[in-house]
Amino acid sequence: MWLLGLRDLQWRRRRFLIAVLATSIVFALTLLLAGASSGLKNEGRRIVGSFGADAWLVAKGTSGPFTASTVLPEDTAREVAALPGVRRADPVVLLRSSVDDGSLRDVNVIGYRQGGIGTPTVVDGRLPRRDGEVVADTRLGVDPGEKVRVNGLQMQVVGTAEGITYAFGTPTIVMPLRDAQELVYAGQPLASAIVTRGVPDSVPADLKVLRDDEVRKDLERPAKSGNETIDFLNVLLWLVAAGIIGSLVYVSALERVRDFAVLKATGVASRTLLGVLMIQSVFLSVAAALVAAVFAQLLKPSFPFEVSIEASAYVSLVVIALLVGFVASLVGLRRAVGVDPALAFGGA
Amino acid sequence: MALLEIRGLTVEYSSGGYAARPIEDFDLDLESGQLVLLLGASGCGKTTLLSVLAGILTPAAGTARFDGIDIIGLRGAALTAYRRRTVGIVFQAFNLVPSLSARENVEVPLRAAGTGRAEARRRADELLERVDLGHRIKHRPADMSGGQQQRVAIARALAHDPPLVLADEPTAHLDYIQVEGVITLLREIARPGRVVVIATHDERLIPLADRVVELTPHAASPSRGPERRELQAGEVLFRQGDEGDLVYVVEAGRIEIVMERVGGDEELVNVLEPGGYFGELAPMFRLRRSATARAQGPATVVAYGLTQFRELQTSDSTPGPNSSLLT
Repeated sequence: MWLLGLRDLQWRRRRFLIAVLATSIVFALTLLLAGASSGLKNEGRRIVGSFGADAWLVAKGTSGPFTASTVLPEDTAREVAALPGVRRADPVVLLRSSVDDGSLRDVNVIGYRQGGIGTPTVVDGRLPRRDGEVVADTRLGVDPGEKVRVNGLQMQVVGTAEGITYAFGTPTIVMPLRDAQELVYAGQPLASAIVTRGVPDSVPADLKVLRDDEVRKDLERPAKSGNETIDFLNVLLWLVAAGIIGSLVYVSALERVRDFAVLKATGVASRTLLGVLMIQSVFLSVAAALVAAVFAQLLKPSFPFEVSIEASAYVSLVVIALLVGFVASLVGLRRAVGVDPALAFGGA
Repeated sequence: MALLEIRGLTVEYSSGGYAARPIEDFDLDLESGQLVLLLGASGCGKTTLLSVLAGILTPAAGTARFDGIDIIGLRGAALTAYRRRTVGIVFQAFNLVPSLSARENVEVPLRAAGTGRAEARRRADELLERVDLGHRIKHRPADMSGGQQQRVAIARALAHDPPLVLADEPTAHLDYIQVEGVITLLREIARPGRVVVIATHDERLIPLADRVVELTPHAASPSRGPERRELQAGEVLFRQGDEGDLVYVVEAGRIEIVMERVGGDEELVNVLEPGGYFGELAPMFRLRRSATARAQGPATVVAYGLTQFRELQTSDSTPGPNSSLLT
């Protein structure tokens, strides 16, 4: 009896196509939102991992190196390097600034000790060799050889790097430690944190040790409410999708009341009709999910920050689409079950 | 023994809260091979009777047996099996599924009964050939004329070669050219081992029927002369559902008109005083009485045939404005 459902889909194909497109947009939004949430988490994982540090030392009471503005004397790195368990220690500066290239754009700034922990991996060009030279995030859209004005200071881009975007897709500029200190600390020998290879067995009382996962969680913390909002929005969007398909199935069931009556009068079981409606509804929902996957891929590059739609998100969407289709079919099922076959008698 | 036996059949339903009985205490016996017409105006119970025979409507009282099967007592799987294999229905408005082709419409009852796809297709094609639509099997109803759609509907009704075929106003939506083909087909399908029951008000079908059952109340001669009747207090002149052929004028006393509600309660609709008249609708439209007329106290009424009453209305002694249009 799947033929009844298939033929009805063909008969009302224009209406069903519109419903699939509308629902697919809704599903695409859920994929993009999930991708945005993943992207934010990926950012944190990548930037923290890019340092290759075994430990991060920050001032006591500081939540994390990327989110707090407390500073340490640069010399602390030498003290830390002498601690048992530490093989190498380098100061890093982490701050927010802006680039003026005709329009003002926010950037992250990372200052690192040349040759030390935190040295970026360039994909084009070279590492800075002298003051005033920087490595720019490919997301900034500048090439080696170009100049950028960072916080009023003219800098020369000598190389570009990937995977150093963080803080909601903000591009990053990596520069020698001195330049970063000049930029924000008026040249004073200060640092945001000390990164180490090897984990110190103990630290001075005025310092706190953080591992990569703690630093990452701290970096993701500002986005936590955003992610919760995304989850809430996703639930609402699934309800919208169920509403679109449910209303279509319901209207279709209303239009087919006489058909149902005739089918029942000629011996078609109610459960067969229920099955037809349910299969139609699930088919529409899954079709919308597949179209949504295409839409999401097309729309992804338009976002200003990374949207990383993982394979699990697509699988989850198909499962959710099955559930949405089933739930949506319930509104029509009730109508079909209640049809009196006596309605088959009577004029047109 | 008759193939179809109906005894004391009464169907009651609510019409605006009032009890309506289009069929009351109805008996009928039909033999194998008969093509029977249920003839009558709209509202006389033709479709209601077909619904009972199709196992779709449960009557308030009475029995209906087909080839020994108690139709009224069928439930669940037995009822579904009856609808699938014992009875075939041709509906008034064709009622083909618009999204299915002619072949698929005929296949539906076969597939519903579990017939395999290939066998269902073979049987559908065979039936469509039989109704002279072998060249239209892939066409949808919208691409076919009314006559062709009705022939597809007949083919669908015959899908399981049922011994009982019910047709509800099969010629209602057809022009005079299309009617001929459908009438011929209906006559052909009546054969030994099968009963064909056609509900219609189309008197063109009368010549092809083996038997005609009139469901419309007989009207007495419209020229029937005036008859005076004396009523005791509480005496019923006529009851709701009775056949009626006379119009009454109140000469003395008061007559109350009451309607029976679903559940058995009565509702007083009107009280007629001397000069008032009632009961003209039943003889005028050949309907059953829609209310009960009863004397409130001792009363006298004069009964007229329809023609006499009309003459009375146009004469100087026209009854007063106090009338009841319900009866």
